[in-house]
Amino acid sequence: MNGHTHRHYDTDKTLFSRFTETAGITVNVIQAGDDELLARLEQEGPKSPCDVFITAYAGRLGVAKQRGLLQAAQSAILNANIPAPLRDPDGHWHGLTMRARMVAYDRKKVRPGAIITWADLAKPEWKGEILVRTSENVYNQSLLAAKAWADGIVANMARAPKGNDTDKLLALGEGLGTVAIVNSYYVGKLMASGEPEKQKAKAAIAVAFPTIGTHGTHGNVSGAGVARHAPHKPEALALLEYLSGDEAQHLFAEGNKEYPVKPGVRLAPELEAFGSFTPDSLNPEALARLNPDAIKVFDAAGWR
Amino acid sequence: MKDRRGAHHNSALVSAITGVALVLALPIGVMVTSPPHTDAPEWQHAATVLLPQHAKGTLLLLAGTLIPALLLAVPSAWLVACTTPPANASSIGCFSSRWRCPPASAHSPMLLGPTNSLSAWLDASLGMNPDLLHLPGLCLVLAAVLSQYIYLPARAAFTLGMTAQLDAARSLGAGPLRRFTRVALLLAWPAIAAGALLVAIETLNDYGAVRYFGERTLTTAVFRSWGGLYDLDSALRLGSVLILLVDALLWVDRRSRRWAGRSTDQVPTTPILPTGHRAAIAVGWCAMVLALGAGLPLAKILVDVAQASSLTDWQEMGPAFSNTLLVAALAAAVTLAAAVAFTFRERHGQSGLWAIRLANLGYAIPGAVIAVGAMAAVGAIDRSDCLPFPLIGSLGLLIHALAARFLAVGNQPLRAGLEHQPKALDESAQLLGASPLRIFRRINLPLFRPALIAATMLVAIDFIQELLLTLILRPFASIR
Repeated sequence: MNGHTHRHYDTDKTLFSRFTETAGITVNVIQAGDDELLARLEQEGPKSPCDVFITAYAGRLGVAKQRGLLQAAQSAILNANIPAPLRDPDGHWHGLTMRARMVAYDRKKVRPGAIITWADLAKPEWKGEILVRTSENVYNQSLLAAKAWADGIVANMARAPKGNDTDKLLALGEGLGTVAIVNSYYVGKLMASGEPEKQKAKAAIAVAFPTIGTHGTHGNVSGAGVARHAPHKPEALALLEYLSGDEAQHLFAEGNKEYPVKPGVRLAPELEAFGSFTPDSLNPEALARLNPDAIKVFDAAGWR
Repeated sequence: MKDRRGAHHNSALVSAITGVALVLALPIGVMVTSPPHTDAPEWQHAATVLLPQHAKGTLLLLAGTLIPALLLAVPSAWLVACTTPPANASSIGCFSSRWRCPPASAHSPMLLGPTNSLSAWLDASLGMNPDLLHLPGLCLVLAAVLSQYIYLPARAAFTLGMTAQLDAARSLGAGPLRRFTRVALLLAWPAIAAGALLVAIETLNDYGAVRYFGERTLTTAVFRSWGGLYDLDSALRLGSVLILLVDALLWVDRRSRRWAGRSTDQVPTTPILPTGHRAAIAVGWCAMVLALGAGLPLAKILVDVAQASSLTDWQEMGPAFSNTLLVAALAAAVTLAAAVAFTFRERHGQSGLWAIRLANLGYAIPGAVIAVGAMAAVGAIDRSDCLPFPLIGSLGLLIHALAARFLAVGNQPLRAGLEHQPKALDESAQLLGASPLRIFRRINLPLFRPALIAATMLVAIDFIQELLLTLILRPFASIR
């Protein structure tokens, strides 16, 4: 069977190999950006050899569904493994993991409990203290709440947005800012790292899970759906069932420091140490619909 | 009778060459022809907000990169061409000519990142930690790695073809600086301009480094519109603006060549032997250019490879390496064959030149966008089921898209090499009854063999480095 995937992690390669060993089905993948892969799926049309579309951002699954590139595919196993808010009611896509959008802060300068909601970060007291990526980054696009908030964050930036999340954490270790807006799996990987240049940042940071009003903590859901013209639908469904099962969910958690979607699967120790949080209740598909508005707000606020 | 048959043969050849140009121009053709017929729901935001902001960023980045690139490349090319060892540090020429680092790779975080060497050194020694990951830092990184595009043709121009003029200037009392600025620069201008054009285009289509530094260019506007506003049609319109800008740069390049000096002299420039502090400055300058453009990035990559060696699946590397060589060799063969044919067309006729010009614009477009254009161009064929195999995901479409993207890299050096050849050679052969094809094969082609070798190397390096286009278009099963 064949898959288009935006996920570029070694953990995924291990998972596909394990699936081949257990199910006897070989998985060929093409790994590229999700917008580009969606364009390829569209152009391939009914002759597409693609069976599964996998992405690290569920908003794109919503787009794929809207464009008629996925098909309904449900099973009792998928329904049992994946909580209802993390899958499409019609079965066009299924969430596999979650990463929380969180803040890492300098434990010497910030008291625990100082940041409860995302709105807190837009207050003047954080002026010149916040490290954040550009608004090209999809994690920031899906997090954005309102123009006033974006204005506040822009006013509080320690320096112009640039680099990736790991750069933000290293900069925090160097004292170049006090708070960094980051994705939980980068923090988990940093905490698990033995590399000498990362130890300073590891020692300096603590984390918080800000909420958006009553919505809980925003997260990025990785997920997959069966392609509309999949030549190997039963095999595609078998892969999704495997990826939502205990073994794969454990590997996602341990190997890539992501939050598993299946209840009861143990978190990686690094994530467990962060404590628990209530995930955002917003349907990931709404993120796709709202993304263009988020871009306009970023542009109006001057957030690069 | 023979004449008529020859003319018929020639016009069939011209049509065939125009046909090849049109096939290579297909992805760009799709880009520039589809936007007027599409809805582009987010076009108002793209046109009123993204376009002005990102066009301004583009122009600043272009100027900020071209000026240091020229300052780095031209003096070193002059020093290497017209001084003797050790001042010319001749190894620099042969080394840097075979090496070019992708701008987005190692050097930026290594040198300019918040926790790395240069920043840490500034912090420790001067107590300051400036933000180097900004526009000036980006310009310097791009200039350092791209200046080779200017260095190579400039050195070639300085090495041959200006001995008589330089000697005349010297006999009239002009010092080294005056000879360089008033004679050598003017004579080498077509070569320098051709190189500067490639630097400008590479800067325009860079996405990785520009995004990492958080700067805004027309290329990031294309991706912002596509991936952020979910509006591919607006992205294609912005891409068309990028194409127009490159076409304007090409026009400036053509105009600027009109006032450049010309020479058909093939005598090597007489080397001079600088001594004392002049020799030290020459060696120091060349060493700095080498370190910035090649030494530091290469060192960083080697360190990364050493650190990652335990994590690397070496079993995968063998097939990946042979696939890379296979695709690069096939794509280089196709691109150079087309480039040679286009060079012939440009030398020996006028019709069909617009198609060649259009095909050359692919170099300005980010690889991902070319890939989407290539898929859109053949998608209808795949969906209509008229072929027994799909074109999308085939090795053929991958090669086609790579050739469409990098044709200019092959075509530019050949064009510059041919411009150097006096028209009188062709005219003499024509008077003796030789056909254009025979003139090209027997006279033009052998004379620009060095340019052909340089063009092959440059396109092969680009094919090996191109990431996004290859990722999107690669076949599912590995190519063996």
